[in-house]
Amino acid sequence: MGFRIEAGLADEILRELKKSYQIYAPKRFPGQGRFAETDLIRYDEVSALSEIVFDEKSDYPAKEVITPIQQAIFYFTEEEYRASRGKSKPILLFARPCDINAQRVQAKIYAGNGGYEDLYYTRMRERVKFVLMECPGGDDTCFCASMGTNRTDDYGMAVRPDGAGGLLAEVRDEELLPYFSQAPAADFTPAFVTENETAVTPPEIPDKETLLKLKAHPVWQEFNGRCISCGACTLACSTCTCFTTRDVVYGDNPEVGERRRVSASCQVEGFSDMAGGHSFRPTAGDRMRYKILHKFHDYKARFGDMHMCVGCGRCTSRCPAYISVTATVAKVNAAVAEIRGALGQ
Amino acid sequence: MNHDINIKKLRLNCFRQSKEDGKFMLQMRVPGGFVEAKYLSMIRHISETWGDGNFHFGTRQTFDICGIPYENIPAVNAYLKDYIEEVDEQLCQVNMDQVAGVPAEWDRRGGYPTIGARNISACIGDYHCICGNINTFALARRLEKLIFPSHYHIKINISGCPNDCNKAHLCDFGIIGCAKIDYHPERCIGCGLCAKMCEHGATRVLSLNEKNGKIDKDPCCCVGCGECVKACPAGAWTRNPKQFYKVILGGRTGRQTPRTGKMFLNWATEDVIAGVLGNWQKFSAWVMDYKPEYLHGGHLIDRAGYKKFKEIILEGVELNPECLVAEDIFWHETEYRSNFNVKPLSAHHTAGPQPEGTHAH
Ligand code: SF4
Ligand code: SF4
Ligand code: SF4
Ligand code: SF4
Repeated sequence: MGFRIEAGLADEILRELKKSYQIYAPKRFPGQGRFAETDLIRYDEVSALSEIVFDEKSDYPAKEVITPIQQAIFYFTEEEYRASRGKSKPILLFARPCDINAQRVQAKIYAGNGGYEDLYYTRMRERVKFVLMECPGGDDTCFCASMGTNRTDDYGMAVRPDGAGGLLAEVRDEELLPYFSQAPAADFTPAFVTENETAVTPPEIPDKETLLKLKAHPVWQEFNGRCISCGACTLACSTCTCFTTRDVVYGDNPEVGERRRVSASCQVEGFSDMAGGHSFRPTAGDRMRYKILHKFHDYKARFGDMHMCVGCGRCTSRCPAYISVTATVAKVNAAVAEIRGALGQ
Repeated sequence: MNHDINIKKLRLNCFRQSKEDGKFMLQMRVPGGFVEAKYLSMIRHISETWGDGNFHFGTRQTFDICGIPYENIPAVNAYLKDYIEEVDEQLCQVNMDQVAGVPAEWDRRGGYPTIGARNISACIGDYHCICGNINTFALARRLEKLIFPSHYHIKINISGCPNDCNKAHLCDFGIIGCAKIDYHPERCIGCGLCAKMCEHGATRVLSLNEKNGKIDKDPCCCVGCGECVKACPAGAWTRNPKQFYKVILGGRTGRQTPRTGKMFLNWATEDVIAGVLGNWQKFSAWVMDYKPEYLHGGHLIDRAGYKKFKEIILEGVELNPECLVAEDIFWHETEYRSNFNVKPLSAHHTAGPQPEGTHAH
């Protein structure tokens, strides 16, 4: 059902919803950007419609709500331990189509990966209903249309700001409908972006020989001099899932504490180090190769349905070294064409 | 050539004597070293019409136009009217009809009324620079009206961050934009990059705590540069939106006792800086017994002594709770001549009101 919701009523509805839901949305943190007097937009709990940033893409992705940078997974006391309980209140998560589609990827990795289901992911994911934020068109780093992630129907409701502080909404979820009884009906279904300023063609790698040659290709060496291995791209990524676990003891008693899950980054030096000091990917170029191929080849080769990258472009926006993921894929495509030409393909 | 020129009067008017007979160099104020590019056509016009066709970037970020014959000065001054009105009166809201707070009608076609308070110089700051913590020229514009026009000398340098590209350490009153940094441990992935950057480029106050994978900070000596904010991939360090400043006092170059300035205030707000500079005229007037001399601010502090300076300069200033003030300052001067300060008592300088009929010296 479609509704027109005036500014005042929208906040009233939000207040009512907050009694039963935690509401997360992209929020502006003034002055907290990387540079002075710039803002940061990231997910946080909101209580008023005006707090929600609709017109700009958030710097950090919606995944932070479902797979937080840090979470306790269990607590221990001497030899006893118990899993963290997590909260039970359901969550309304405001997100654009790229962020919603990213959860198809995260779900595959956490809960569809070789029959193992990750309790912490699943219990959080089950609490979430998406509120689709109609995407006003993204920016020049976006390429969702190329990745097929510009559309979604995984949402309990969809919204578009009406320009006067209120909303147009489509409410599909039966449990949400009663909250809108005061709002006049209106015709509204969300529109989706069909084309971005930037387009990407994921590389066609037809066989193992091409893949091996691509891995050894000099295209990756450029990044040894450019990438500073900070990991900002993976923290900003809508789909990156890597984490590490860490035991933290409380105070001075080593027998009491917790085990935590903390996000990690394949771009940071030392990430792939093995005991004994062997490193699989010692250079920035090696790590870039790993990331790009994972996002635009390996994941799909394994799971089949889609690429891991959802084209949100946040890695490009956040990279302090101006490394563009779309330009990188174009360079990889040129390398593949060169390799295939040499192989007579 | 046979000239009869009052060069002191011309100097007060911002025209500097030249080694070339009868020629002068104009120094135009550019508060914060930042104006619209359109003014370059004025520089060009002055230089090509009345000067020698060149100009120099003054070391204090003035537009310096050299080779102006004495006879041309009235025409140049008349032409300067628009520039001074637009830049000083309008942009900086300077009251031109006063000198050091004493009403004095400004001759609009007579050029600059005083040279004492030097042009406030600044690095580009956060208008452009990825390191900058503050908008330096916005601050320069706010401070300009507190110190100009005045015959009392002060050199103010503003730097946007503790890298101090604009040498706050080498002027009377150096201002450095600093950020208080907030830590959000729940966002920290324990990569240690911030600690590396702090060690590499700042004061080595951060370390990765191997026990909990979070960062420990020794809050004593953070310089407030913001390198950790820039480095963090996770947004775990953010600048506190409140802006802060350090004031580095009493630095100078010169033929007698050059020295690096020392920290006077740390974590002061802009209002505190403005309050302190609001007392500058009063302090200078008191030291020189209300008779301005060609003497830079740092020397006035020497004459009064730091403690007296502190007393007068902080009068009525409400310090923000974070603000720290130097209890004492021990400068270290280059003594070109050893025991420079040891001389007959009669040759000592004085400070403050002097008995009738004598001069402060
Ligand atoms: S790889 Fe880049 S564009 Fe793709 S999902 Fe991650 S952050 Fe978005
Ligand atoms: S690609 Fe950019 S954001 Fe990613 S690790 Fe390298 S420098 Fe950092
Ligand atoms: S702001 Fe402080 S903690 Fe951060 S890098 Fe600079 S000195 Fe180190
Ligand atoms: S750079 Fe950021 S994420 Fe890395 S250790 Fe420092 S605060 Fe933590």
